[in-house]
This record gives sequence, structure tokens and C-alpha cells, in this order.
Amino acid sequence: MTGGSGVSLRFRDIAAGDELTPLDLAVTATVIVAGAIASRDFMPVHHDRGFATAQGAPDIFMNILTTNGYVSRFVTDWAGPETMLRSISIRLGAPAVPDKILRFTGRVTDTRQEGDEGVVELAIRAANDLGDHATGTVVLSLPLDALA
Amino acid sequence: MTDDELDPLRARLEACIGEPLSEFGPAVAPDEVNLPMMRHWVDALDDRNPVYLDAERGASTRFGGVVAPPAMLQTWTMQRPRIEGIAERGGSSGEIAADNPLTTLADAGYTGTLATNSELEFERYLRPGDRLQASTVLEAISDCKTTAIGRGYFVTWVTTYTDGAGETVGRQRFRILKFDPSSAGARS
Repeated sequence: MTGGSGVSLRFRDIAAGDELTPLDLAVTATVIVAGAIASRDFMPVHHDRGFATAQGAPDIFMNILTTNGYVSRFVTDWAGPETMLRSISIRLGAPAVPDKILRFTGRVTDTRQEGDEGVVELAIRAANDLGDHATGTVVLSLPLDALA
Repeated sequence: MTDDELDPLRARLEACIGEPLSEFGPAVAPDEVNLPMMRHWVDALDDRNPVYLDAERGASTRFGGVVAPPAMLQTWTMQRPRIEGIAERGGSSGEIAADNPLTTLADAGYTGTLATNSELEFERYLRPGDRLQASTVLEAISDCKTTAIGRGYFVTWVTTYTDGAGETVGRQRFRILKFDPSSAGARS
């Protein structure tokens, strides 16, 4: 089940326990640098390998704005363009470094109606072979009138 | 120092709670929310949600037009970087205020920084033309904790983003551990 970039999921078709379509992101130095600069984060740990390793990191690593951006993409790739994110709350762990696949997975934990919106809570995880990069909760809404 | 002893450093930092973090704000976005930066983000993250760039598709959704990717919230008010000397400043885009609590911690030996939590809240999606301002307040500082990477303090701040009308459009709560790398593996 996916909304993709085409149609949005209908709230009535979403239930607790549903799994999101996983996203396997092939993280490269280019992915990390592109995200850092698009988010206007010029910290050298996100583009300068020598600087990053001198700080004790294994390599350059993804900045948090980019991580949040990929969480957003992962969720709206699944739920579709009518999605409005209400919150992204993540606990940060292992760094997202080049040449490791970052796998995004998620599951619906709750659904409820609020006025003319359907609210969906998700538990999400982004992990590579170093461990959990980000784990947390995303809350989104979909318009109920998309039922029509 | 054990966690139980009177901690003069923490007492000094306690006085900063609820106060603006001078290094971070209030920050006025150098540019209004705009399509070129949104396109740059969409391409960098390969995010093909049509509501970010496609005016026709955006108009057919509840947004009624294009909206900025929500995770760009923090991007709009990022400080303009001074590239020269950025590595020597530890990666900071500009000069760091001497009275900043993070500087106080670094001067006391807690030089390491590890981000632990980020909580973004969106009140509404942004549109091209929105001009943001960000105000950051120190929310909490923990007692001195012993962690696997060394002793340190968890520092939490909250940034509130407002639009040109002064309405809140979103918030970010951010927590870091400022730690003393030389104390790694130590037991208090």
C-alpha cells in the first residue's frame, strides 16, 4: 500500500499495525554533502573527511536537518501529497556515513479523528549496520474529505 | 565530582534557563521562503512529493498551491556562513558569544558535543514569500551525568519560528550532550 507521489492514502484505509513501505537510502558522500548544503549547514563534519575523522567520527556524517528531511520524504512517499506532518521527534544514535545503506522502516501506532482531519501516529526507525541512526515518532494528518 | 555534590558550574548555567541563547537568536531569515531553495532541497534529497514544486498539483491538494518541505523549517533561518576559518571555529558559522552557556561548558572542559534528540513541530506549512524569524531559549540543563563517552550535561533548547505577522509556524526542541572526552570510561 502506498500513496507514492501520486494519490494519497485514505485515512479510513490506515490502521494501527500497518507497515510503511521501507526506504533503502544508499548513503554516499554526495548524498551527505548535497543534504548539508541544501539545508545551509556548513559544519565541516558534514563535508570534510579529514575534519570529521579528527573529531573522532569514522567519516563525514549526515546532518540532522537532512535526517529529518529523509524522514519526511519516507513518510510522504508512503502517505501521499495530502499529508501534513505535525511533528517529527527523533532520538539520534549511530551516524549515517558514506557507503552504508540507511534503511527507513515504520509502523502505524495509532489513528484518530480530530475535526475534519484524520491523525496518524507512526513509529519510525532509520538504521545502518552501525546501529539505529534515528528512532522516533512522526504525527501526520490527512484530510477526511479526501474520502470522497 | 560525583553527581550528588554541589555543582557550581550547574548553578551558573541554571541562571541561563529561560533566557535567549545569544549565539542562536533571535535570527531573521536572510531570505524569504523561496522556490529556488525549495528546488535545491527537493533535488538534494530526491523528494518527489509534488506539492513542493508543482503549482498545478499543489493547487489540487488541500494546500491550494506549493508549500515548502516542512523539514526545511530550520534551514530558512540558518546563519549565513563565514567560510574562512570555519574549521578553526569548530564548525561554527560565525563568532560565538562569550556568555553562551555552551561556551561556558566548553571552557570548563566539556568540549565534546553529541546531539541526542530533535523534536520538530509544524503549526502550518510555509509558502514562498513567508519571512521567518527564530527565537531560541535555553529550556533545561541536566545534572552532571556519567555516560559511556564521558561525563557531561544534557542541554535542551527550544527554537520558536514565527512569520511576518508574528504567528508561530513551528518549533524545534533540540538536546545535546556536552561532555568531557577525557573522562570517557570514568566512574564517579
